[in-house]
Amino acid sequence: MNRLILKYAYPITFAILAVLAWVVYREFSVRRSELIPFAVVAGLVWGLGTFVFIYFWPRLTYSAFKRAVQHGLGGDPIPVNTLYAVPKLASPSAPTSSLLATGTDEVLYIGGWLDLSKGPQVLHVPDMAGRYYSVQLTDPSDGTDFAYVGKRCTGTEAGEYLISGPGWKGTVAQGMTLISSLNNSVLVIGRVLVESANDLPTAYRLAKQIQLTPLSH
Amino acid sequence: MLSVSHLVQPIIVGGVLAFLTANILMNAAVKAMSTTVNGWSTILKCGQPGNGILLRAGCAKILPGTNVAQEAAYWTTVVDGAGRRLNGQHQYVLHFPAGQLPPNDAFWSLAMTDVVGYMVPNPIDRYSVGGRSGLVSNADGSIDINIQRTAPAGHDSNWLPAPAGNFKLMLRAYLPGRAVLDGEYHVPPVMKRH
Repeated sequence: MNRLILKYAYPITFAILAVLAWVVYREFSVRRSELIPFAVVAGLVWGLGTFVFIYFWPRLTYSAFKRAVQHGLGGDPIPVNTLYAVPKLASPSAPTSSLLATGTDEVLYIGGWLDLSKGPQVLHVPDMAGRYYSVQLTDPSDGTDFAYVGKRCTGTEAGEYLISGPGWKGTVAQGMTLISSLNNSVLVIGRVLVESANDLPTAYRLAKQIQLTPLSH
Repeated sequence: MLSVSHLVQPIIVGGVLAFLTANILMNAAVKAMSTTVNGWSTILKCGQPGNGILLRAGCAKILPGTNVAQEAAYWTTVVDGAGRRLNGQHQYVLHFPAGQLPPNDAFWSLAMTDVVGYMVPNPIDRYSVGGRSGLVSNADGSIDINIQRTAPAGHDSNWLPAPAGNFKLMLRAYLPGRAVLDGEYHVPPVMKRH
């Protein structure tokens, strides 16, 4: 459905505008005196609505990601504060292809949604032995990728990262690295490079070891 | 006096116009921040902190969940080097001169999608070619990628299958090199074969 809307965006837009023009024309061929109040109300909604749509567009988009994650990326539903590694490379026939078929078929994707309102989460990553990988943390309110764990930012050794929400005050255990989020909700997208078809089982085994646990008290 | 029933129509009209205007503005913001060379467009600002309201909305619309450019650079094109729509009825070649592959510290790939950005089926289940897909170099070290619907004679490893209709190409460079982030690297144009 989304694909069709995107593919035919211009004809659909034209059709909607044509219907609107017809409605407005019909309205005023009957009641000409109401033209000014109509134009004022429509103009106000137009101006204000444009701002509201733009302001909330990232939230709208990322709430769709949240729904997709909770629905499951080809497997079972993914509970909040868990990561799911998609076992297969993206392809046109993959389940939930709407999200993954826009990606690349050279990495295994990991998806998850964090809720930090009840306390921080600890992200565990295994030793990747030089392999390219990344765990992207995105603020769903504005789409900022506010932190990365992975080859570029933290290297490929095993590690533990404490992801805390706004206002959390506590001590960070030895050996953990603190990542502070400005939002209690966080979109997590992980990518693990698959070198070749033979490498897929190894890459998947590593991807599955990228996991979250609640911070133990 | 304006009654509630009189409000419904102008609110619907204003709301629809607002939706369309917001989309036009978001597209314009992304376009203004994109650079296009040889038909290939790229934007380096998405996902970065401190983007304005309009740009962050445009990024969420065009590239939701995308990496920051330091992690991965993306180029897309729907046209060949002459500005004509890419279409599976034609045959194309993307020629990388020696040493001009996308600079990166992880991997690069060229992927085939439909005009919206979804992968498309093909007989050999190949949706991308790249640094690790076994591309064969020419004698001078350059690389030709054949983008066409049917298998090219003798160059199967350099074949990126195209669908029947219009299509889009996406080039990725993970951990892109400095030349990409500085805007000095340019992807060569997709050339139509005659």
